[in-house]
Amino acid sequence: MSLLLMGVGFGLITASVLALASVGLTLQFGVTNFVNFAYGEFLTIGAYLAYFFSTVANLNIWLSMLLAALLTAGFSWLVNRVVIQPFLKRKAPLLILLVVTIGLSLFLENGVQAIAGPSFEQYAASSGAIVNIGPMIFTTQQLVIIAIAIVLMTGVHLLLKYTRVGKAMRSMSDDPDLARISGVPIQRITDLAWVISGFLAGLAGVVLAINVTSFTPVLGSQFLFIIFAAVIVGGIGRPYGAMLGALLIGLVTEVSAMYIDSAYKTVVAFAILVIVLLFRPQGIFSSKGRV
Amino acid sequence: MSSLVFYLLTVAIFFCIYCIYGWGLNLQFGLTGILDFTYITFVAIGAYFAGVAALQPGNGGLGEQYILGLHLPFPIPPIIGGIVAAVLAILIGYVGLKRLRSDYLAIVTVSVGQIVWTLIGNITPLFNGWDGISGVPQPFNSVFQLDFNHYQWVFLVICILFAVLGFLIIERLTHSPFGRVLRAIREDENVAAALGKNVFRYKMMAFVIGSIYAGVGGALTIAYIGAYNPSGFTTMETFIIWAAMLVGGSGNNRGMILGAFLVPVLFNEGTRFLPSPPGNPLLAESIRGMAIGLLLIFAARFRPQGILPERKTVFRLDGLQQGGEAGGDRLVPQ
Repeated sequence: MSLLLMGVGFGLITASVLALASVGLTLQFGVTNFVNFAYGEFLTIGAYLAYFFSTVANLNIWLSMLLAALLTAGFSWLVNRVVIQPFLKRKAPLLILLVVTIGLSLFLENGVQAIAGPSFEQYAASSGAIVNIGPMIFTTQQLVIIAIAIVLMTGVHLLLKYTRVGKAMRSMSDDPDLARISGVPIQRITDLAWVISGFLAGLAGVVLAINVTSFTPVLGSQFLFIIFAAVIVGGIGRPYGAMLGALLIGLVTEVSAMYIDSAYKTVVAFAILVIVLLFRPQGIFSSKGRV
Repeated sequence: MSSLVFYLLTVAIFFCIYCIYGWGLNLQFGLTGILDFTYITFVAIGAYFAGVAALQPGNGGLGEQYILGLHLPFPIPPIIGGIVAAVLAILIGYVGLKRLRSDYLAIVTVSVGQIVWTLIGNITPLFNGWDGISGVPQPFNSVFQLDFNHYQWVFLVICILFAVLGFLIIERLTHSPFGRVLRAIREDENVAAALGKNVFRYKMMAFVIGSIYAGVGGALTIAYIGAYNPSGFTTMETFIIWAAMLVGGSGNNRGMILGAFLVPVLFNEGTRFLPSPPGNPLLAESIRGMAIGLLLIFAARFRPQGILPERKTVFRLDGLQQGGEAGGDRLVPQ
């Protein structure tokens, strides 16, 4: 039983990292209606920017994280404007767009590797004091990660539910054509979706890097399909689903790692992805399909 | 034999193998519009199974661990490689092809690629883990008793035979009624379904046949190199084939030959001599990866139909079938 609860503790941390990442991915999908396969590299870029700020510029790790997330948000905006928009203007088909994002992913991952080198990096910050909550063990750093996730998920919820911008995003997600003729400023909302998606990806990259302690340029691309699992479990394009999906995938993978070799916890995430795609491809938390 | 001749023979052999890879991917994406982002995984599975089919039973001379070890003579290992790749394709197809949207299969393929790569590396008893298997016997080598250099000619002939056979089959498929249905599915799945075509079944067949090409190509690769490990099937390998297809001409098997020459042969061989500074031993590899990524984006942006576009058959009143450029208006509507 205490083993189970210990797994739950680890699961909550993974779920927090995963929630930030998957809400970012699914929000951008909801508004633009295509998957960004370069999203994993956004996480990597966030992690390396924070490494630069904290180790080279000697800033506090949380301040570095904020700066890195802001820069990743800007980068995400740039990617949309420079790389994606020219294709949308020419009404390129979905297939081509997906090929473009995967080409971008290859470019960015190798770009980070060319600049930073392929060796393992690690933040200098200490993980803080150990906190015991029952059989669950957290470091203060991990508690901060969980707090960040809770605050941002609440923020996303308030944004979507109570602001005009959030309403516009939800309308674009439901029906882009209807949104357009109702006067929703498509271009600005799309820009904003990319910025928020990039910001969350940047944050997620840093907390992921903190959580796995040492990282390489494949940090994000190896985590990407766990993000996919969370996003698809929750129903792709649905932020609330992604939050629940992150919680489910985080808990199940970490609890399973208590009982089987932890090298195979990604296999558990993959198994869940396959089962959901086979039996409930619209996601287990969504009432109706959007495909 | 001079080393230049040896080098050229090696390049020619890989050119043939890349053509075989390319035709399989072209059938999947170029003709049917299936996004297979882990084509190299099928190559790897084919290579591994062909390897252990040709090897002596496990725990041989080098103390390597692997399954099977059937010690079967050539052409059987490539057939086994093709069959195993087809089985993997059926499994993945069942998960990813049922949905109408192509994103789902793309996501499944990316995930499968990661999983298979991790599993093969971590489970050593399968294919000797990260070290990989080696010492795979070269086909007919024991029959001809040739030295290493002269044997290259034999292998080139084998590869050319496979490539010619592969080309004839893929051309026949492309221009058959079967190929026509695949193109219809690529253009509009709903229309094809409305005309009574079982879209899932056709997509599955295209996916499986394409994967057989990958598996057989992989079997030839391992038969030539004699060894294989997980560093041979990284994500980048998949996109070298993708870039070759997009540059050459997706949907056109002849364009694919040109692409296989331009991207894997010219481009990859040309960047072989990039520097590798001690501080960053993977710099050349990284720059090559960046270039392949850019090549994909630019090809998609400026000439998605490729250098040799697919020829479209046009309805004419006089009953003749006239070929013309199709790619332009297919991939880039005005």
